[in-house]
Amino acid sequence: MVLTVFDKVGASVLMATDTFGDFAVLAGRAFAAIFKRPFDGKNLLNQFQSVGVNSIPVVVLTSLAVSMVFAVQLAFGFRQFQAEGLASQVEGLAVMRELAPVITGLMLSGRIGSAMAAELGTMQVTEQIDALECLATDPIHYLFVPRLLASMLVVPLLTVVSVYIGFWGGYLILVGVEGQSAYVYGNEFYKLLAFKDLRIAIYKALVFGTIIALVGCWKGYRTQGGAEGVGNAPTSSVVTSSLWILISDFFLTKLLLV
Amino acid sequence: MAVIDVVNLSKAFGSNVVLANVNLQVEDGESLVVLGGSGTGKTVLLRNIMGLLTPDSGHVAIEGKIIAQLGRDELFQVRQSIGMCFQMAALFDSMTVFENVAFGLRRHQKMTEAQIQARVEECLSLVGMKGTDKLKPSELSGGMKRRVGFARAIALKPKILLFDEPTTGLDPVMTDVIGRVILDLKDELGVTTITITHDLKSAFEIADRIALLFRGECIACEKPADFKVNPHPVVQQFLRGDADGPFLLDPPPPKRIPKEAHA
Ligand SMILES: Nc1ncnc2c1ncn2[C@@H]1O[C@H](COP(=O)(O)OP(=O)(O)O)[C@@H](O)[C@H]1O
Ligand SMILES: [Mg+2]
Repeated sequence: MVLTVFDKVGASVLMATDTFGDFAVLAGRAFAAIFKRPFDGKNLLNQFQSVGVNSIPVVVLTSLAVSMVFAVQLAFGFRQFQAEGLASQVEGLAVMRELAPVITGLMLSGRIGSAMAAELGTMQVTEQIDALECLATDPIHYLFVPRLLASMLVVPLLTVVSVYIGFWGGYLILVGVEGQSAYVYGNEFYKLLAFKDLRIAIYKALVFGTIIALVGCWKGYRTQGGAEGVGNAPTSSVVTSSLWILISDFFLTKLLLV
Repeated sequence: MAVIDVVNLSKAFGSNVVLANVNLQVEDGESLVVLGGSGTGKTVLLRNIMGLLTPDSGHVAIEGKIIAQLGRDELFQVRQSIGMCFQMAALFDSMTVFENVAFGLRRHQKMTEAQIQARVEECLSLVGMKGTDKLKPSELSGGMKRRVGFARAIALKPKILLFDEPTTGLDPVMTDVIGRVILDLKDELGVTTITITHDLKSAFEIADRIALLFRGECIACEKPADFKVNPHPVVQQFLRGDADGPFLLDPPPPKRIPKEAHA
């Protein structure tokens, strides 16, 4: 009885180690392959297009919605002790340090990470990845690298967009609805922030971008079992990368805020 | 020295032993046809030769280089001299026919765009697919996809061509067309080939030697004329295409004698 429990725990620990090891090896190979020849500019541009340009609407809409609802809550909360003036400062802090990078990361893990998993998964089960191997092309170099680079560049850029949209989302509520002064809001939004905070946001976004691309590509590359496998790959990539985005956000915040 | 040397190759997936001690030698310029029932590990054999799978024991050597012992870069060097034609063609479905065929050229050869254009057209006309270069794989039929797959495999002028069931699932006429394309390629390029097929007619046309895989072992490997008269019961059953005999593990359903039609 006790033995079977230990057996089960042992087996799942072994499996988790296995899975993580596999991910780590592929991630290492992807980073090493960044500097390998030939450099595939056309492929990279395609990825920028599908990862970056096409994600702008999603990021704009979600950032607007989240920053507005957050401003409503802040205005309500601070009104309880007649400190409405603080709402814009806290809005600025929250948008820059947490909301923009995390919302962008989560939305993009749903939009681009899952697309990567589905595309590579389909290629895997239709033997296109084997065909790449047979044409003497490293799939890690050909498929992972452009997606990784695109995602590492695009997530920080879109995070900056999200901060900007967040500013206007707060403006709409605090100035437009709550009737605070526009001039004061403009000043207060950045009052608690230093340049360091923008840097923190961008570091976070860089890490999130890396997680999204690597997890998406890895889940796709390891797809097995036909249509069902291809169906599971995106779901599992979104769940895994969202989880890692939230976990790493905690540690990055602890680390970078000192 | 044999160009392709398969020595004591064994491969199992879990408890499912697929290949057990397979030995095959293919000489320079020779055409070997591998026959075998569905699921006897013919594709697994080719994947071991390409280095897509690693043998459990034994090895595959291409021109004296043991595939499983090569580093990634050396392996890619060897693979450039092998053209693999997949069972379901495995064309890159986000690219046009032209881009598919040009893929290897773009990555491995320093050619101008005009040279690539010329080479792609040459390859497509060798397989009788001229003028399809702007189409996407989804716009092609099964036989056309296979032939584009052939064109992609020969683009880099390989010394070895591997065909995995090039005719399965095609109508008899298209089967004959593909058989002719393979013969043409063999004559014009002088390549060493391994062809996996179920189609006995094209097998006897293409083959210099025929091998039969049965329960993970290679039970015959000889000239077509000798193969035809091989007394082994499995060989004879395969040639007759009969359900009764030692070939199947589970006995087949009994044969019904059709009732006489009453006039
Ligand atoms: N990647 C794999 N994992 C597990 N089993 C496999 C794998 N590839 C092939 N097999 C098994 O090997 C056997 C032979 O497969 P295959 O070589 O594809 O047959 P065929 O001779 O029809 O080409 C089958 O029983 C199949 O289930
Ligand atoms: Mg097969």
